[in-house]
Amino acid sequence: MRRALLVLLLAGVAATVWTAVGSGAGAHRSAAAHRSAGGTSVTISNEQGATWTCGYNPFNASLIDWSFGPIYESLVFVDELKSGAATPWLASKYAWSNHNKTITFTIRPGVKWSDGKPLTAADVLYTFQLIKKYKALDLQAVWAVLKSVTRNGSKVTFKFKTAAVPYFYYVAGQTPIVPQHIWKSVKNPVTYKDSHPVGSGPFTFASCSPQVMKYVKNGHYWQHGLPKIDTVYYPAYTSNDPANQDLASGAAQWGSQFIPSIDRFYLSKSKDNHYWFPPVSNVSVFINLKNPILKDVAIRRAMAYAIDRSRVSQIGEYGYEPAANQTGIVTPTFKSWLNKGLAKKFSYNPTKAKQILTKAGYKMKGGVFQTKNGKSLSFTMINIGGYSDWVASAQIVQQELKAVGIKVTASNLSSTTFDADAYAGKFDLMYSGNEAGGPAPYYELRQELYSKNSAPIGKTASSNWERYYNKKVDSLIEAYAATTSSAKQHSIVDQLQAAMVRDVPIIPITEGVDWYQYNTKSIAGWVTQKNPFAKPAAYEVPDWGVMLLHLRPKG
Amino acid sequence: MRFVLRRLGFFVITLWAAITLNFLIPRLMPGNPAQAMMGQYRGRINPQAIHALEIAFGVNNHQSLLSSYFTYLGNVFRGRFGISLTFFPDQVTHEVLQALPWTLALVGVTTILAFALGTLIGLLAAWRRGGTLDSLMPPIFVITSSFPYFWLAMLAIWLFSIRFHWLPSSNGYSITDNVGWTWTFAYDAFKHALLPAMTILVTSIGAWILTMRNNTITVLTEDYVRMARAKGLRPWRIMWTYAGRNAILPNLTGFAMSLGFVVAGAILVEFVFNYPGVGWMFLHSVESEDYALMQGLFLLITVTVLTAILAADVATVILDPRTRDER
Repeated sequence: MRRALLVLLLAGVAATVWTAVGSGAGAHRSAAAHRSAGGTSVTISNEQGATWTCGYNPFNASLIDWSFGPIYESLVFVDELKSGAATPWLASKYAWSNHNKTITFTIRPGVKWSDGKPLTAADVLYTFQLIKKYKALDLQAVWAVLKSVTRNGSKVTFKFKTAAVPYFYYVAGQTPIVPQHIWKSVKNPVTYKDSHPVGSGPFTFASCSPQVMKYVKNGHYWQHGLPKIDTVYYPAYTSNDPANQDLASGAAQWGSQFIPSIDRFYLSKSKDNHYWFPPVSNVSVFINLKNPILKDVAIRRAMAYAIDRSRVSQIGEYGYEPAANQTGIVTPTFKSWLNKGLAKKFSYNPTKAKQILTKAGYKMKGGVFQTKNGKSLSFTMINIGGYSDWVASAQIVQQELKAVGIKVTASNLSSTTFDADAYAGKFDLMYSGNEAGGPAPYYELRQELYSKNSAPIGKTASSNWERYYNKKVDSLIEAYAATTSSAKQHSIVDQLQAAMVRDVPIIPITEGVDWYQYNTKSIAGWVTQKNPFAKPAAYEVPDWGVMLLHLRPKG
Repeated sequence: MRFVLRRLGFFVITLWAAITLNFLIPRLMPGNPAQAMMGQYRGRINPQAIHALEIAFGVNNHQSLLSSYFTYLGNVFRGRFGISLTFFPDQVTHEVLQALPWTLALVGVTTILAFALGTLIGLLAAWRRGGTLDSLMPPIFVITSSFPYFWLAMLAIWLFSIRFHWLPSSNGYSITDNVGWTWTFAYDAFKHALLPAMTILVTSIGAWILTMRNNTITVLTEDYVRMARAKGLRPWRIMWTYAGRNAILPNLTGFAMSLGFVVAGAILVEFVFNYPGVGWMFLHSVESEDYALMQGLFLLITVTVLTAILAADVATVILDPRTRDER
């Protein structure tokens, strides 16, 4: 009894001491106050599971995210959320000629690098010669289609091997322009870190440590009066919880990550907290078309009927990622392209799925359909084990296919093994959302359906992982590249949708979104659903630079 | 002397084996780094870029296993571990050296502190067996040690930073700080280290207390302790130089091992507190198949653990005359 009392007493003393020490130390918060001594700042919370390398080389796949946008800029800004609406940027105007095989950019006068030297057409020419010379820098593979780049005064002319309208997005919108006077003395641009970048963008490098990158306003910026924000803090988060915590408390104002139960953990914490998840590309079940059983379109159609996409969306993805449709058009982002009649096909209907299989000659035995040769419809679906939402979604797909007599075994792999299998075509079924999308539905459809993006089983296929080969579809895809007419483009995409519905090479399940949370307490100008002037996730290049340009202190 | 020499020989052979295994194991894993990196981007760059990445990383450079082994050996002895793929295009050595001080300061200091405090409490508790200290400290800390670490850490974050706002919940220092040798920065870094350090201390001290207490109790029944008492030596002296010196021997090797593992970082600690040390770097290197970084870290750990064990062996020779087997 006496001992118990002593324990209590001691605990009490300890607690008191703690309180004293704690309040004495002062209740400083770990993250930045919005208004620091230098003016207005914004803090980004974008969990990367890594600390910073402090490099800014925009031709390096692992560094491009930290510089392309705020520091380095492109010739034109292409807004993917507005069906590729193009805003002249470093180029003040451009024109196609020679049956859409040649494009000429006029470089904007009066643009200065952050060291004060002028940006000229020579820098643009140099940039494209640089990525031609070093193939490893050509992240958008523009030299796969380019023939030559030449300069005449302030004009830069690009000649393509074939008509190349969609490549405008990669050449003008996705290639950062770098200063010749700095880069010409770089010995090896492939391994160059570029730790003190000189760019043309609204922000410049201020400091960097493995834990936080700091950017400050570029005094030489060509859009006068901009940016309105003085400092950008970009802290590194190695796990999701601290990143979400900083967002919920308002310590970080711009978020780009998955938050479970977002209404409870984020929205309810402050009336200034908002989010919007615009869909950008599909998460689909890829079907290996070289598989002798899956070659039969009847099975693929049955599968498309059997999967309740909205259930997958609600349970597997917390409802954040909306249900997809068989045409492969992401809505509402690209709703002007959607063929509504085709999109309604393959709405959830398990009875129909069974009918199709029976009609095609498959026999149900012990709850599983069998081929005429007595082989069960039993497949393995590979998935990335680290993506908990995909694992949950794939499980539902699995249950639903089982209900119509198709047995699917899930195989949750490490992302490395998953990718190796995807590229080599070593799978029956694959749950994947690794397509890059683009400013129109065409870009994703081309990645998925163009035979040049495929390869025989065992060889590396860049994006047509299901191995779909169709000469008609190939020629449609090539025809799109030759036209700038919106009507023609729409008619081609319409036919591509028809192919998706007819051949069911892949089954889109949910629509992958841009993760985006924002706090309006002291900063205004954010991307909203009504005003989608850029893709709103901080990992979107160069969109995040455009977002930063629009932000301003409130009041 | 012969004992130390024998140990040294053993050290060299183990080191060679470790270096060789370190070379082989990562190469037996599937996939290649370019694919790993594409995976990390989850569709954010043009799929065609896989070819650009393969060139950049030198995948398929057709070097034979044997010749790359010898290149590797040569580089290891010059402290070169090549270019990290996670921190491409940075050198592994540079990245590790950036993260190591944080881990050494946090995990190193707490390990030493836990050992010193734990040993002291264990000794005192055994000395006054059944006393207040003995009935209070060991049970409390044994209970706290058995808590799952992440749970305790989450609880601490919730209590001390979210609820009361006393201490920062994550990072090694405030993001608005200028990193440098200033008092403000040191104070800030200290404040950020406090919460993770407390949680490590609370979860690791129990084991030291318990083993030290039990060792001391066994030693106290030895004849030479009774003899010391009979000689009328001061209790203080008996406790330190008779009981303590002998009871600490088994703990010493354990301490050396845990010191060696300090450089492995505390993965869970660094993960939960978003601390910029080598622990999560280790995890990340495996996840992203960063051979170079993995090898650098593995080797660092192996060498430190082996050195620590060697040092413990030498210390044992000094403390315990029985191990000096010179004939």
